[in-house]
Amino acid sequence: MTSVIHTEKLVKRFGHVTALDGLDLEVAEGQTHGFLGPNGAGKSTAIRVLLGMLRADGGAARLFGADPWSDAAELHRRLAYVPGDVALWPGLSGGETIDVLGRLRGGIDKRKRDELLERFDLDPRKKGRSYSKGNRQKVALVAAFAADVPLLLLDEPTSGLDPLMAAVFNECVREVAAEGKTVLLSSHVMSEVEALCEKVSIIRKGVVVESGTLTEMRHFTRSQIHATLKNPVRGLGDHEGVHDLKADGLDVRFQVDAGALDDVLTQLAVSGVAALTCEPPSLEELFLRYYGDELASRGLDNGNGD
Amino acid sequence: MATATAASSTAREQTLGTLAGTGRLLRFQARRTRVYLTGWFVGLVGMSWLVAASFPELYPSPEDRAEFALTVDTPAMRSMTGPGEYLDAYAASTGAMFAHQMILWTGAIAAVMFILLITRLTRSDEETSRLEVIRSLPVGRRSDLAAALMLAAFAAVALGLLMALAVSGMQGVDAEGALLYGLGFTAIGIVFASVTAVAAQLASYGSSANGLAFGTLGFTVLMGAIGSAQESWPLWLSPVGWAQLTYVFTPEQRWWPLAVAAVVGALLVWLAFALVAKRDFGLGMLPGRPGPSIAAPGLNSIGTLTFRLTRGLLWAGVITMLVLGAAYGSVVGSADDMLSGLSDTQRQLIDQGGGSMAENFSATIAKIDAFFATIFGLLVIGRARKEETGGRGELLASAPVPRSGWPGSYLPAALLVSATATVVGGIGLGLAAAGSVGDWSYFGKLLLASVIQIPAVWVMVALAFACFGWLPRAGWLRWLPWVYTFVVGYYGDLLEVPGRARDVSPFEHAGAYPAQDVEWLSIAVLLVVGAAIAALGLAGVRRRNLHFA
Repeated sequence: MTSVIHTEKLVKRFGHVTALDGLDLEVAEGQTHGFLGPNGAGKSTAIRVLLGMLRADGGAARLFGADPWSDAAELHRRLAYVPGDVALWPGLSGGETIDVLGRLRGGIDKRKRDELLERFDLDPRKKGRSYSKGNRQKVALVAAFAADVPLLLLDEPTSGLDPLMAAVFNECVREVAAEGKTVLLSSHVMSEVEALCEKVSIIRKGVVVESGTLTEMRHFTRSQIHATLKNPVRGLGDHEGVHDLKADGLDVRFQVDAGALDDVLTQLAVSGVAALTCEPPSLEELFLRYYGDELASRGLDNGNGD
Repeated sequence: MATATAASSTAREQTLGTLAGTGRLLRFQARRTRVYLTGWFVGLVGMSWLVAASFPELYPSPEDRAEFALTVDTPAMRSMTGPGEYLDAYAASTGAMFAHQMILWTGAIAAVMFILLITRLTRSDEETSRLEVIRSLPVGRRSDLAAALMLAAFAAVALGLLMALAVSGMQGVDAEGALLYGLGFTAIGIVFASVTAVAAQLASYGSSANGLAFGTLGFTVLMGAIGSAQESWPLWLSPVGWAQLTYVFTPEQRWWPLAVAAVVGALLVWLAFALVAKRDFGLGMLPGRPGPSIAAPGLNSIGTLTFRLTRGLLWAGVITMLVLGAAYGSVVGSADDMLSGLSDTQRQLIDQGGGSMAENFSATIAKIDAFFATIFGLLVIGRARKEETGGRGELLASAPVPRSGWPGSYLPAALLVSATATVVGGIGLGLAAAGSVGDWSYFGKLLLASVIQIPAVWVMVALAFACFGWLPRAGWLRWLPWVYTFVVGYYGDLLEVPGRARDVSPFEHAGAYPAQDVEWLSIAVLLVVGAAIAALGLAGVRRRNLHFA
């Protein structure tokens, strides 16, 4: 698989602030890639470097194998972008804005545009200044999804959308992915990333701290087990793969490392299992693992312990 | 005891009803606008003070002033100054001459200050969600408007007192006259604050509220100009005219025209308060019109988009320059008469080494035309920066458009707008001058005199673009060269600026046609210099980071 986005030790500084501190990001062709991180982690900066709006201070960035800074305009023919905070021209209507953006890309598919307006329930005749945040975002989304391009860069695209429209958005991303297009979806809505993305990169303080498929990432973390046993079990707490064991008579709850799962289940089976639930870690838990210390330093529980 | 106090204060809040919280909001708004207000005070009062200080030197004796009064006593000159009643008092009082020359322009500029103040505190706050936060607090629904108007009233009184101070000490100015002069500006401020308060209820957006208020200002100033020129009733339609009708510093000095301002101001405030409680929050009384659902076929490139987005400025430039050109041009016919009325210093200002006074004067006003036309080019460059800081450019910077297209297309747009403004100003000058001299050759002369200024205008626009390319954050830097060339070009003789410091200004090299022959070589050099600076600016735009909100 060829990579559409490739950055290596990418550095971007603003004065004394280091926004990107050696970012390695890899997005393969046809992949829907989740880009996770809280506000200020460097997601938007990374995307703007990839768009050639900001010049990198160090490292390398490649978009379709080319330099995003020097070949910006040419590369932009092959992508569509939805900014996190969409600002529109106050005097242009939504329809005009969508058409202009489409025509700059060399034309717009009128049928697709109208279909998307319908699906996103957007009135194209309103002027830019009278749209709400969500509607401004819809204008940019319609313009992006109507474009026939192999790459979509979406920066927190659903932050202003209501749940119904977020569902329409998810559907659109799936369709685009089914056509074999590449999507980089920056977000902090875990459920959205979990539902849409095959691969996820978690960014923290300008560095990608974890990257992989959800299955791969789950492999390194613990599952939550809740079992009701027929007979008391002994020595479960001594197992080094078992954590946070809470026993209430025959009712046990604990977390278990993926590597120890096999072993522990065998031990439970010996005692006899009346009921068993095993939850794989949610993306949120994976995410919080990397930010747990930050939460702890603010006196918050990292969400794992009940 | 404590409970009783609390209860009574709650009762007071309730009786205040829709005005609850006005006092606290007033303090808050005063804090938000202190820099804005200080800047305007310094500018308006400083300008008046400078002119007041220079008048005794320019027109030292009663004879000088009496002669000057004769040249001003034409319909065209009166339309640019004020009613003729002041003219008889020129000889006896420098103050009367000052008031006649100053009230119209200073008053119109003061009106702009109050229009922008009220809009930013009312409709613009409502358009963004700032006012929504305030209205969710325990404050009444009329309190923000009341606080804005009270702040404007305080500012108007402060401006009046400062203006009174600025003119006191001039020959022919007594304490009562100075106070009346100052309070004329208080009246103008209050009236235009209330006009804008009503406009802010009608329009749904800050820009359209400003448009309504500026339209009112433009219309009333035009009526005032007609009234002064014809010495007839339309002057009474102008709030600035009411201040002029006090005939301050003349023997006919009177206070009561300011009462008209008080009555009109009160009526407008009452109307605004009635409307603000009647309408829905966030909406205006005039409904916003929807736009087309599909873009016009022509709107298909970055160039046409930039043109569309700067169209408003182009029209503003065309209208302003046409009016300005007509106003200045209409004076050319009386230029030879003016010669006798001028002091040596003034003669020096206008002398361009030409054959006749009319030709000298033509060369001077063509240069003034170019100075003002440049402003519209600089405003277009300012738009480019606003597109960037406002975040709108992000959609274009991610489109397949090179940097030379966005934000680069603002350079040709600015060149186009400034050149159009210069030419239109030249047409206005030419038509009015030909009419006033009665010689149609002046149309061609003034048009050509204006057109040959275009390369100098373009150098200024390119310079602003280069500043935008290399030091985008320093917005003031884009205006600094303009201020410099204006001061050097307009007051260079008066301030005795050395030749080398003047030669920096491109306008010094644009020649002084029709007073002198056209210097095609130096015009060509200006074009080359302009192109080089523009190329430098494009290089800056290519290499820098784009910062979106």
